[in-house]
Amino acid sequence: MNNQNSYSSGPDEDRARDLLNRSIDGEISSSEKEELEVLLASSAELRDLEEEFVTLKRLLDELPEVEPPGYLQDSIERQVRLPVRDSASLKKPGLFGAWLNANWLRTGFALAAGVVLTVGVYEMGSEPISVSDSVNLSGTMVKPGLVDKQGTLLDSIQLNTDQLNGLIELRSEGDLISVDVQLKSDGPSEMIVNFAGRGLEFDGVNRIQDPVEAVSVLDGAIHLSGSGEQHYRLSLRRTEEVQNGMPLELNFFADNTLIQKAELNFSNF
Amino acid sequence: MHKDHDAALVNSCIEGDRLAMSQLVSQYQKPVFNAAYRILGNMDDAADATQTVFLKVFEHIADYDQRFKFFSWVYRIAINESLNQVKKRRPQESLDDSQASPWQGPSEVLESARLCQKVQDALMLLNDDHRTVVVLKHISGCSYQQIAGILQLPEKTVKSRLYSARQLLKKTLLVETTNDRGTENNEQSK
Repeated sequence: MNNQNSYSSGPDEDRARDLLNRSIDGEISSSEKEELEVLLASSAELRDLEEEFVTLKRLLDELPEVEPPGYLQDSIERQVRLPVRDSASLKKPGLFGAWLNANWLRTGFALAAGVVLTVGVYEMGSEPISVSDSVNLSGTMVKPGLVDKQGTLLDSIQLNTDQLNGLIELRSEGDLISVDVQLKSDGPSEMIVNFAGRGLEFDGVNRIQDPVEAVSVLDGAIHLSGSGEQHYRLSLRRTEEVQNGMPLELNFFADNTLIQKAELNFSNF
Repeated sequence: MHKDHDAALVNSCIEGDRLAMSQLVSQYQKPVFNAAYRILGNMDDAADATQTVFLKVFEHIADYDQRFKFFSWVYRIAINESLNQVKKRRPQESLDDSQASPWQGPSEVLESARLCQKVQDALMLLNDDHRTVVVLKHISGCSYQQIAGILQLPEKTVKSRLYSARQLLKKTLLVETTNDRGTENNEQSK
């Protein structure tokens, strides 16, 4: 190595380093390039460093682009909630929606008056609401009383995280499958159930215990949020032969942060 | 990274247009995923980070200051989220062979994958500050000015960190590669 003019110990060190860096990154002017050429011509050490940096740049630039998993875009889109454009653009969700809206309205009045009322229940087994009918459907529903668990247990999930604990059970009875949810969280929590493409349609939510829960159905995903101890039952009805074996995907959020993903398998249903 | 196009999509999202949201996800999920992957060194963690990034982006999209470029804002969230996940990172995975170029022969695929893994391993040895500037420069293709905007640092600091990162990479990566080549040559001469 030629040490007759070592840049690392000379007064041009900072300047040479800056020029070399910018040359490697393609952010150097023609006059600065000429200046660097002069420095390179006088320092073998700088030339060695340039060669090493060029090799490094090649290694880094040649790292292959990695394809995101195929499910990612769909998964993101299902979970994103945007502001609802305006009330006129909301689809009418049929009988269920009419019932629901009436009760939400009453709940709203009750809350406005500072009184929490139990205002009704969506009866499972009444007319189901399909995904296409429930875009942007959102609101609050309340239900009195406790409903016993029904049907055959197909799968279950035990949640045990710092923010969220609970048990989720998947049961079947006839064409109906139900997701029994018991959750406990210190702060606000949310469960999102993706049922799109599973040959199922949303059939309602049966609230079993505790204050107002927000429920929305969006693009084949059901969003259920609440806080504290929550106990509710989500019902889905089979509309066609389930052949693809895709499990229900569940995402659990606490304080708006995804804390756990899980699946409920109903391939034997 | 077209500012006007992005701005139009962002405004549509604020109005509740899910198609616009889908277009933004489609446009940015790959660069965000790649940046996250190179910072985290793990595909699953990168997918988790990318998902969280977009949920945060759209949760706060009404707060986004449109004087700045949308991609800079997204990248800033992506870098912060990736660095958050570094703290709870799972053990690293190796790159799959399938990520190598498909036209290469089997031995070239292996060699390429091995080299890529070495570079990734060397990246993971850098501290977060150094790894972040290297990823934004070499993986995301950002300029000094863009990196400075994303990380909210002076350009001078960006350049200084890049230089330091390269010095460290040089020590770990080039020395190791040279040693490997020497070992291979020795084995071939036996």
